[in-house]
Amino acid sequence: MSSHAATTQVKANWGGGGVSPLGASYGKLYMWFFLVSDAFTFSGLLTAYGFMRHKYTDFWPNPGHVFHHFPFYEGSIPLAYVGLMTFILIMSSVTMVLAVEAGHRNKKNEVAKWMLLTIIGGLMFVGSQAWEWYNFISGTAEGAVRNILVDGVWQDKLIHGANLQYNEYGLPVFGDFFFFITGFHGFHVFSGVVINFIIYVNVVKGTYEKRGHYEMVEKVGLYWHFVDLVWVFVFTFFYLL
Amino acid sequence: MEFNDGYPSYETMAIHDEEHGKHVRKVIWKVFWIMLGVTLVELLVGFKAESWGLGKVFLQFFFIGLTIVKAAYIVLSFMHLGDEVKALKWTLLGPFIVLVLYLIFMVDVGEGNYAKARRYVMDKNVTDAPHHAPAGNNEGASEHH
Repeated sequence: MSSHAATTQVKANWGGGGVSPLGASYGKLYMWFFLVSDAFTFSGLLTAYGFMRHKYTDFWPNPGHVFHHFPFYEGSIPLAYVGLMTFILIMSSVTMVLAVEAGHRNKKNEVAKWMLLTIIGGLMFVGSQAWEWYNFISGTAEGAVRNILVDGVWQDKLIHGANLQYNEYGLPVFGDFFFFITGFHGFHVFSGVVINFIIYVNVVKGTYEKRGHYEMVEKVGLYWHFVDLVWVFVFTFFYLL
Repeated sequence: MEFNDGYPSYETMAIHDEEHGKHVRKVIWKVFWIMLGVTLVELLVGFKAESWGLGKVFLQFFFIGLTIVKAAYIVLSFMHLGDEVKALKWTLLGPFIVLVLYLIFMVDVGEGNYAKARRYVMDKNVTDAPHHAPAGNNEGASEHH
């Protein structure tokens, strides 16, 4: 151990030896391990989706026919809005990594600027997802006939839209997975926006400037990129395949 | 920080100067354009798959392959895992590679095929096949299989 006259207590690195195994700080390692565990959670959901999709493949609705709305446009463009949502999220990931890079140069104002853009991108994504849910739940004008339980009697009724019991697009399990997977992911995006906002306030206040490094921005950036990563997989498995 | 005991301070080790910053930013934008391009290709193929008559299996390989490409760029470049030490990279990616291999074998070779077999029984309306509206709804879903 080092010997020194000054009594300055240095923040001890965990492990006692002062050298972190795997070559990263404690906070960053924690974030990475948490992300791996969260990734396994989403893998479980997507695998379950895959099995159901595979089993009922003859009855599964075509996502291009279900998700064809676009704001302020009366016609139908399959998957266009979902594509736009993907672009917004990837863009917000880019602004996040630019914030991290500005943090590596200790430029407070640049970090703040890029983080604000990331937060705005995240809010746009959550809003878009909410709009998609609204369209999914309200359904189309034609609707479909489903055999549903009404007052204890199973009968064929014309229904519109979707809920967890039945939907006009196809099997009930299609709606269930839509709500659960996009809901879980949307919740992660929302919590990411909240966390980003807290860190943004700290950046503006100068907390990290005083600390001497912007590693908190990097850690929060890891979480945000993870959210984008999950969306890339959800987008592929749910909307494309 | 005046105090120096020889141990690495991982937080401040990441700091770099303007020159290096410019280079890093160029890489970031390059990856962005790659991601945008790949997404557009995926959307185009997804849009046109029916009219181009692409097979289901081809589509699966195509989309999953491109998704893994995008995921690799996000993890290695945006999350800077590519810059970390090898031990950390493998600690994080190792379990995932094992999982993916397991899923591939499970779905295509093992368990998934039990589900496939049931489809023959469903025609007889015997099992938990859902009641669904007369044909017209799902014509998009059932391609030749």
